[in-house]
Amino acid sequence: MGVILEAQGLHYAYPGGGEALAGLDLTVRRGRRLAILGANGAGKTTLLLHLNGTLAPARGHVLLDGAAAGYGRAGRAAWRRRVGLVLQAPDDQLFAASVAEDVSFGPLNLGLSEAEVRRRVGEALAALDIADLAERPPHMLSFGQKKRVAIAGAVAMRPDILLLDEPSAGLDPQGTAHLLAALDHLRGDGATLAFTTHDVDLAWTWADDVALFTAGRVVRQGDAETVLADRDALTATRLRPPFLLELGQKARSCGLLRADEPLPRRSADGLALLDRAENRNHSQI
Amino acid sequence: MILADRLAYASRWRRRPLAEKSLLSAGLLALALALPPVPGGALVLGTATALALAAGTPASAWIRLMAAPAAFVASGSLALLAEMDAAGLHLAADHGRQAGLVALRALAAIAALLLLAATTPTPDLIQGLRRLGVPAELTELALSIYRFIFVLQDTAAAMHAGQAARLGTDGWRRRVRSAGMLAASLLPRALDRAHRQETGLAARCFDGSLRTLSPLRPASPAGLIRVAVLLALLAGAGTWA
Repeated sequence: MGVILEAQGLHYAYPGGGEALAGLDLTVRRGRRLAILGANGAGKTTLLLHLNGTLAPARGHVLLDGAAAGYGRAGRAAWRRRVGLVLQAPDDQLFAASVAEDVSFGPLNLGLSEAEVRRRVGEALAALDIADLAERPPHMLSFGQKKRVAIAGAVAMRPDILLLDEPSAGLDPQGTAHLLAALDHLRGDGATLAFTTHDVDLAWTWADDVALFTAGRVVRQGDAETVLADRDALTATRLRPPFLLELGQKARSCGLLRADEPLPRRSADGLALLDRAENRNHSQI
Repeated sequence: MILADRLAYASRWRRRPLAEKSLLSAGLLALALALPPVPGGALVLGTATALALAAGTPASAWIRLMAAPAAFVASGSLALLAEMDAAGLHLAADHGRQAGLVALRALAAIAALLLLAATTPTPDLIQGLRRLGVPAELTELALSIYRFIFVLQDTAAAMHAGQAARLGTDGWRRRVRSAGMLAASLLPRALDRAHRQETGLAARCFDGSLRTLSPLRPASPAGLIRVAVLLALLAGAGTWA
């Protein structure tokens, strides 16, 4: 699986503040879902702003398809055509009078024809399941709806990589489920996704790859099962192992789950394991 | 949310072409100003009210919408109601007829404008101005301000709730102090939010222009003719009477 976006030795400090990025290395693999896990205040948003060229590092490089991305006007514009970003607070992104108008903003900036923009807006709204909100003004939407509109605004530009800052923050469980279903739909279209979160259970449920981020550096990166099973690395990042992963490991250790069977990733998988345990108990009696 | 805007979004006429609604409102306004207040003003006031109700505006909301400008008109008409001479302050010689006519004309003009406001969301009006050739810089600024009003309103409401929960609004001294602190902290928050919005726009290739695609709602000749006929009938009735 090829690397589409790579950060090498990034250093960055906010004026008057400590070092937000301290020699950070990160790779985003094409067609994969990467969770960047870190505690609150670890600098995850700063990292995303580097990955889409909004912030320039004091030292280090960001490579897009192996080539160093430029920080000039044209370089940044080309970069943002390929790397979409959805901010944590949707109100920071929504500015237009209606949902459809807001979603049309990005595609119009790509210089597309009006017919193509209308088509893309329709597709993005359908993909995020918010077609019925097309003419609503942003201030008449719930927080979860605003989040999906903000994502639709980036999706309509059809970036190669979509960066999402804390996509589940502030959402109730149903809102999170809706959002993940919509993102699953995008992934089906071959999009590469990278998102920041401090929710290890979300990362385990949904990510292919995981990067642990603390003190301005990625201390561990790899496939989700390997990284999230590394207790020492998780402790160093002020995180804990996901519940379902621990449940699966326990099931393996007591012979309830064979070594070649996958660990439970969703609640339904965990419940199925409990059913299996119950059946085994019955058969032993 | 601003009452007129809330009504406009819920209005049955919301998706009617802006050109038809603008022609109707401007026509009614012109008639309110040009026709004699009796019966012209009364006809315009009655027609605008009937149309607003037909568009789905609840009567109570229409009255609330009219209340503030009506109070302004009433206070202005008071000057015509009274006269002052050597004998002192007393009722005008025409027993307030002039004050009543001025108030009726003003209320008719206000109703004509509020009919548009209660059936057309502000962004649609701004889009209309853009189509009329108002510079994009002005319309984009107006749209940004419009959007920001609601964002800041939410922020201010949350801050006010936080102050109230800590007894910051008990007694007028505390209320004044809390209101001052709220206003003072709203500005830096607004600037911070504006900065983050700039980042969000930049992520979508913002190039200095806030272009968006608005829904297509072309005016139909039949609709425009219907409006013109209604205005002509009103003009005829107002003049003939």
